[in-house]
Amino acid sequence: MVLSTTVSQRKHIKRKAPRGFLKRVFKRQKPHLRLETSGDLLMHLNCLLFVHRLAEESRTNACENKCGIIKKEHVLAAAKVILKKSRGS
Amino acid sequence: MGGAGGFWVPGPEGKGLQAKISDEGSSLHPLLPPPCIIQSCWSLHRAQRALLETPSSRRLSSQTKTTARRRSQRIRSIGKLAHVQASGYLEEQTPRTLLKNILLTAPESSIVMPKSVVKPGPAPQVVQPSSRESSRGSLELQLPELEPPTTLAPGLLAPGRRKQRLRLSVFQEGMDKGLPLSQESRGNADASSLTSSLNLTFATPLQPQSVQRPGLARRPPTRRAVDVGAFLQDLRDTSLALAPPGESLTAPVATLPTDTVLEDTQPFSQPLVGRSPSVHHSLPCPSHSGAEDAERAVSHRTRSTGPRLQNNSPGKPAQLLAGKAEVDALAMNFPNTSSSIFGEVGVEPLQDGVGGEAEERTEKSLSMSKVKEAARARGSARAQEPEGHTQVTEAEGSQGAIETKEPEGSSGDCPTSSRRVSPELASSTPEFLQAKRIQGLEPAPPPSTAVLPSEPLEPLSARLPPRARTPGPKACQNPYKTGLSHYAKLFSFYAKMPMEKKALEMVEKCLDKYFQHLCDDLEMFAAHAGRKTVRPEDLELLMRRQGLVTDQVSLHVLVERHLPLEYRQLLIPCAFSGNSVFPAQ
Repeated sequence: MVLSTTVSQRKHIKRKAPRGFLKRVFKRQKPHLRLETSGDLLMHLNCLLFVHRLAEESRTNACENKCGIIKKEHVLAAAKVILKKSRGS
Repeated sequence: MGGAGGFWVPGPEGKGLQAKISDEGSSLHPLLPPPCIIQSCWSLHRAQRALLETPSSRRLSSQTKTTARRRSQRIRSIGKLAHVQASGYLEEQTPRTLLKNILLTAPESSIVMPKSVVKPGPAPQVVQPSSRESSRGSLELQLPELEPPTTLAPGLLAPGRRKQRLRLSVFQEGMDKGLPLSQESRGNADASSLTSSLNLTFATPLQPQSVQRPGLARRPPTRRAVDVGAFLQDLRDTSLALAPPGESLTAPVATLPTDTVLEDTQPFSQPLVGRSPSVHHSLPCPSHSGAEDAERAVSHRTRSTGPRLQNNSPGKPAQLLAGKAEVDALAMNFPNTSSSIFGEVGVEPLQDGVGGEAEERTEKSLSMSKVKEAARARGSARAQEPEGHTQVTEAEGSQGAIETKEPEGSSGDCPTSSRRVSPELASSTPEFLQAKRIQGLEPAPPPSTAVLPSEPLEPLSARLPPRARTPGPKACQNPYKTGLSHYAKLFSFYAKMPMEKKALEMVEKCLDKYFQHLCDDLEMFAAHAGRKTVRPEDLELLMRRQGLVTDQVSLHVLVERHLPLEYRQLLIPCAFSGNSVFPAQ
């Protein structure tokens, strides 16, 4: 098939932290709270680590199923585990 | 086996030797200048074989004949090598062993300095610098001989380039002593007998010396016909003008043929040397220079405008194109000498051409002059244009200014036809002005540059708008989605595996949930601390609870690992000078 459902993994990685996006998200969630300047950077770091763990878990799931492509099921199963881990409380 | 001694042979001598070698059926190509060492190896190879056959007969040929002498010289050296080789490596006649033997025997010849070989004084050596350039070994041999008569630095023996220096100083000293060496050299002429082809009475011990020191041959010989008389005259002139030591070396460089770049030994004279060839290039093409000057006088524009100028200004395109080659050659040349000479010449024709143009289009010239003024005013802002950029770089070099000027002048002559060129000219005018300031030359261009800045400005401005492009449409519509997709891309990067698009959507959903959890946790921590502001400490506590930050792995470690430098500097306090810490704690 000409159309490919897979996404190329070779993407240009943006090193910039979407600070505005993170601030907006926090403000929407908790309007009564304030976020410090360095706080959103650490938030970004937290997100990076979360995504990293999620990707590792998804890859592991895909490899266990001997699949060359990460599928939705793999991601779903991984998300369950990782979200529980990163509860923090 | 006369050709056996064909070690690096400069000039026709080498060819003669090579011919001999070829006669022997050597594999060397007579036209190609073979590497000296390889040549020597091969020659030695054959020589040794021949020697082994009839050594005695060769040695008897110690006659004053040139060829015979040559053979004897070579054979002696070969004999040494053969002896060396016969001692241990008779059977291993490989180039490697030959080379080794050559190098072993080479120092002997330089130190021992048999009179017959060493006799030739510095004068003949210096006289034929071009032919002797390659034969450094001969120079080395010369040095020890010169030491007794002259005080030479011992360190000059080793490097070949320093020997070149010595040649000049030694020669000068020899000249001061009344050419006593010349007689010696004559005496040696018979001995060397290799200079026969060079039509010089001076001996060329280089040949036997080179034979004795073939291992030192580093470069193929650069053969050049040298007018000995002129060379001597130049040397004498330089020796006379030897008062300032620094200049003495530069003067000969300027007077000597540019080919003898090696003669120049002073570092600060090198730029002259670099210039001299370009000057020589420019000299033979005065016509081109005239065209160049015309261009220069007007303004600057690079080769890009050259072809356009050709189309626009049929009157001067040929000259311009021809001059462009010179321009390129002159690019490296300092303008001081050439520009001063040519600038004046160029201004005249340019002005004439400009005058003619102005007469034809007085109105346009007036408008152009006005526009040009305006262009100059805006010129500073034009530096960003790519054309101007190149011009600036050239102008900064303080050399390209000349080049830039040249095309502009011609373009200015035909304002109507060079509409296309005008934009470039307009952009180049500021650089041209800058270059002029740099060089301190009076801009003759004023009328000639008759460019139509207004016209060029319009097309230039027209180019700019199309460049602007709108960002992705999704970003404006759904910024939240954009942010999530940003992290989804990071997910695919970390996964290092191809993914389905549905999986990416799933990832975005997970991220959404994650953000919710994150904010809740932060609120909880802040409330626990009795604050309404979420601080970095809350974040650190969160990460610790998540298991990311442990006793072994601190937060700073994670920051250093995953965040770029700019964020690291903001997060991790660092001590600076003046007893200050940033960020402040």
